[in-house]
Amino acid sequence: MSHTKNNILAQHATNRDLSIAAPPLTTRTSSDFASDEIFVPLDERIISGTAEALESGQTHYVDVPGIAPLRAAVADYLREATQATTQAANVVITAGIQESRFLTIQMIGENFDRLAMPSVVHPGVRRALGVRPMPVEMLAADAPSGYLTPVSEIQRALAAGARFFYLESPARLTGASYSELDTSAIADLAAQYEATIIWDQGLAPWAASAPSLAAYAAEGAQIITIGEAFPGMGLSSWFIAYIASPQTLIPAMQSQKQIMAICTSTASQYGALEASRLFSEKQSAYAHQLQHKQSALRDLLAQQNIEVLPGDSATVLAFRADAAPHLSEDMANGADFGAPGVWRVTVSFSSTSEAILNSVSGKGLAS
Amino acid sequence: MNNQKQGTNLLYALIAQAKTYNDTIIMGRGDPDFDTPPHIVAAAKQAMIEHHAEYVPVEGLLSLRQAIADRVKRVNNIDVDPDTEVVVTNGGQEALMLMILAVIGPGDEIIVPEPNYNTYHDALKFARGVKVSVPSNADTNFRTSPDDVRAAITPRTRALLLVSPNNPTAGVINRSDMQALIQIAEEHDLFIIADDIYDLFIYDDFEHVSPASLPGGKARTLTLNALSKSFSMTGWRMGWIVGPADLMARVKALKAAITGGTSIISQYAGLAALTGPQDDVQRMASAYKERRRLVLDALDDMGMHYGVPQGGQFVYIDISFTGMDSAELAQKILADQHVLVYPGAAFDRERGQYVRMTFLQPEDKLREGLERMRVAMKNIMAAQ
Repeated sequence: MSHTKNNILAQHATNRDLSIAAPPLTTRTSSDFASDEIFVPLDERIISGTAEALESGQTHYVDVPGIAPLRAAVADYLREATQATTQAANVVITAGIQESRFLTIQMIGENFDRLAMPSVVHPGVRRALGVRPMPVEMLAADAPSGYLTPVSEIQRALAAGARFFYLESPARLTGASYSELDTSAIADLAAQYEATIIWDQGLAPWAASAPSLAAYAAEGAQIITIGEAFPGMGLSSWFIAYIASPQTLIPAMQSQKQIMAICTSTASQYGALEASRLFSEKQSAYAHQLQHKQSALRDLLAQQNIEVLPGDSATVLAFRADAAPHLSEDMANGADFGAPGVWRVTVSFSSTSEAILNSVSGKGLAS
Repeated sequence: MNNQKQGTNLLYALIAQAKTYNDTIIMGRGDPDFDTPPHIVAAAKQAMIEHHAEYVPVEGLLSLRQAIADRVKRVNNIDVDPDTEVVVTNGGQEALMLMILAVIGPGDEIIVPEPNYNTYHDALKFARGVKVSVPSNADTNFRTSPDDVRAAITPRTRALLLVSPNNPTAGVINRSDMQALIQIAEEHDLFIIADDIYDLFIYDDFEHVSPASLPGGKARTLTLNALSKSFSMTGWRMGWIVGPADLMARVKALKAAITGGTSIISQYAGLAALTGPQDDVQRMASAYKERRRLVLDALDDMGMHYGVPQGGQFVYIDISFTGMDSAELAQKILADQHVLVYPGAAFDRERGQYVRMTFLQPEDKLREGLERMRVAMKNIMAAQ
């Protein structure tokens, strides 16, 4: 092998962030316990609407930040669901949640000396950092809180000079969300210290209560929210997500999006546009069903003396199992998030509590 | 317009201005006027019904990677293993970004024949790499001289970028030059980044040669391609990279970090494109050939100097006789006659005395655009 290639491959081998394991982004089966997304059948109206757009010639490049009606639909949704003041001009449509992470962390991060983030966070964050590393300040996050960094820890980091943060609410590992009180307090701190915060709220539609930091944004702070576009509508394999940001931060992300993709697939964008019209009709019922299922599973695990971590996002449930190598094939491994000994099960419509219990306890022990 | 705006931002500004007119003829952007062939759209619809929630590996569906492997063998004479040597991307643009990030680190130099596609510069800037330009000009039909490349190599050189047919110059690297360039890469232990996106659009007696198909090329070459130009699929974002397995593992890790995957619907559309009827590709290639003749005849009538396009979908026109820089001229043509051509300053910041004109309009519109261009040039020169 050549010297040049050896050097490049050696550099790669030492970049642990880039090679960190992560759960599958899309489902492998209809009852995948490990994936970040859940399996949902696709509504016929999404198929027909998307096909109609493609058949009418929507197969060409479109504007880099996304087609105008989808940006407007995302903005409408965010205003209604989170009470944020988002307008279409604040929205960039991305080719999935990982692109949202990458664009926000890398492009907004150019203005800062470091990124402060919880010690337990989705591994996609570390991967995005690994492409072009920047210094990271780890914020304490412990199991009893569902791995949410306490407000006091955020305040400590701000006082110590951190100005650029990445926070998840709900947490991608546990589904735990900041309360309204805590979210308001974080917003106040962000304004006081003129901080910039990327707020991953992708699991929020599945939580009974997961306030958006953008709803509390005050002058001085820059709050950027990211999430999947209209989750639960069957589009997880279509790779479609959003960034909602103050307009001053849009040009750098838009320019980078142009460099790395030009635009997001028109099929995915028109699919999401159709999904936006069905979201209010269908998603809350889906969330209600899954919350019921998740709650029952939580009780069953507790009966098995398994420690379940706090979290109220209906699609995920995290529990502690310190020595459980058998779980690695079926569940998302908390070690990949920074929490060894914790496992995450994805709760979907087709996964039964019995199947999950069997998987948790080693194929049959808990049945 | 602010003449300091360059590269991608310059193009944004011109496109925004073009949108303010309701009769603009766009003769700059690389988006084919043809819609995606119907059988590909039909396959996408079928995929929505049958495969909408299918698991998407980071590197792409195996069936698509196999089709890509078959295609690069058939068209480019490159042998690749679909399991380990193919990664599906969100169009050629993501492929471009991934290839740069895979082989260029901070401070590393890459030799770039100029002029070149503007986003290579931007991707290099993101990677904190250093571009070392090797200029070319219309007098030689923008030939990339191996001697010039050799002279540009330093101890920090890590790679050589070869885009053939080139965008925006439409120059094609001939077989002997390609072999010489590979030899240079071998002697200096360089990677080759090959952009084959226009490989199906070759004119006259020229031939397309992929560096990975020649002796010594494959082990050090990452090759990108996409369906945007050949199947008129710009909006689908469907491309790929092929290369040696060890480098492709790095490409895959980068892909996982940047986007994670490629839309299942686009992948099935891509599969239909690669494995279905190829008549539409031939039909479009024939149309571009005729339009090229039309454009070159009109430019000859206007007395314009250009590099004869050997491939691609555009012509790169020397406008140095106007005494203007290309951004100023493109803006004047747009304002005077509502014709959008792309300024060379967007592609080559040092030598911007060119404009790029594409063939990607129906023939009647192309004729009107060329006539308007003739009027604009007359008006502009008369005002000087």
